[in-house]
Amino acid sequence: MALVTTLFEAQGRFVARAAGMSTVPQTLLPHPVAGTSAEAMAALADTLAPKLWARLLGIPAENAS
Amino acid sequence: MNWLEAADEAAAQEQLYGLGCTDGLPVIVPTAPRVDRMVLASGLDRDLSLGTMGPAGGAATVEALAVAAVMAGCPDELMPVLCAATEAVLDPAFDLTEMQATTHCTAPLILISGPVVEALRFASGFGALGPGHRANATLGRALRLAMINIGGGRPGESDMALLGHPGKFTFCLAEAQDASPFPAFQESLGFTETDSVVTVIGAEAPQSLIFSASGNLADDEDGLLCVLAAGLAGPASNNAVLTGGQAVLVLNPDHATLLARAGYTRERLQAALHERCVVDGDRRALGSFRREGTRHAFRAPEDILVLVAGGSGLYSMAMPSWCAGPHQNRAVSRAIDLNPACALPF
Repeated sequence: MALVTTLFEAQGRFVARAAGMSTVPQTLLPHPVAGTSAEAMAALADTLAPKLWARLLGIPAENAS
Repeated sequence: MNWLEAADEAAAQEQLYGLGCTDGLPVIVPTAPRVDRMVLASGLDRDLSLGTMGPAGGAATVEALAVAAVMAGCPDELMPVLCAATEAVLDPAFDLTEMQATTHCTAPLILISGPVVEALRFASGFGALGPGHRANATLGRALRLAMINIGGGRPGESDMALLGHPGKFTFCLAEAQDASPFPAFQESLGFTETDSVVTVIGAEAPQSLIFSASGNLADDEDGLLCVLAAGLAGPASNNAVLTGGQAVLVLNPDHATLLARAGYTRERLQAALHERCVVDGDRRALGSFRREGTRHAFRAPEDILVLVAGGSGLYSMAMPSWCAGPHQNRAVSRAIDLNPACALPF
């Protein structure tokens, strides 16, 4: 699972292809991440964690916690 | 190596441009005989890889670098310098893969110092960063073409610079040691006076720093230091906002002489500038990078790389660094082997 900010979506795919992992799934984050506050990062992590967990487990997001 | 075919040179130019293999300017078509000659000039095995270049992960073989050198129009004798510069940018501390991908406007600034400057006719004086200087122009261009065709850095897909800067075509400067009151630049990096050295740093475009001396040495010393510090850690620069990076300070001979007359060695100047480059971390202009307290823009005095170049006059130059990436995009130096075991049929 690659975590990629929206601006780097194409770049993330490029790197994945170059690494021979073109099918690696991407999860998009809002851009930018750099320079955002610790509180904003924590809030983003809280929002994303269940979705990431669900994708990794292959289960519906509402069943992940 | 996958070789392309074309009916003639004009068709080859169009093919290379269409494939995204150029920098947008016409190139010398890298035919097999031209590439073979450049490989010979390296004195190295054509299949020798100097490392992996990101983000594409291509192997920077001597042959692939020879292709870039031919395309850029390099004289044969520059090939060992290109190999040394490539080794430098491939050092993990340089963070090339991340630098190729960043949204910041950064490019490898190539600094040349030592006997190679005169031997290969690198420009270090008036207009050294401008047009008309073949060694500077083609060496920087060759490294860029390598970064495009080996590293895969292409705008909007893998090179995410929001705007970039003209140094992304070529960005190479030599030290004007004969006009400098300080020991050779490479000596400040741990090399000897007789070493020929290439140093690379991820740098923004040069920013002009004007200072006109009044004739009062004490006032001028303080005034010039104020100007230089303001340029090195400009309030909107990455150096001031992110901190912990490096910067290049290019003194013109007049400014360097003034400081030397005031008793400054390179080391003392670096220390004085380090002390003056202090950032108020709590100012509003830092936006989400705002932090409590004050910080030095640079971790250590030696993170301000000082050399003399250009013509005499009012203007010195600062080249701030990107100062991001896992290693904060450190400057890297490599000695140049000027006597490779090549067998060029001169």
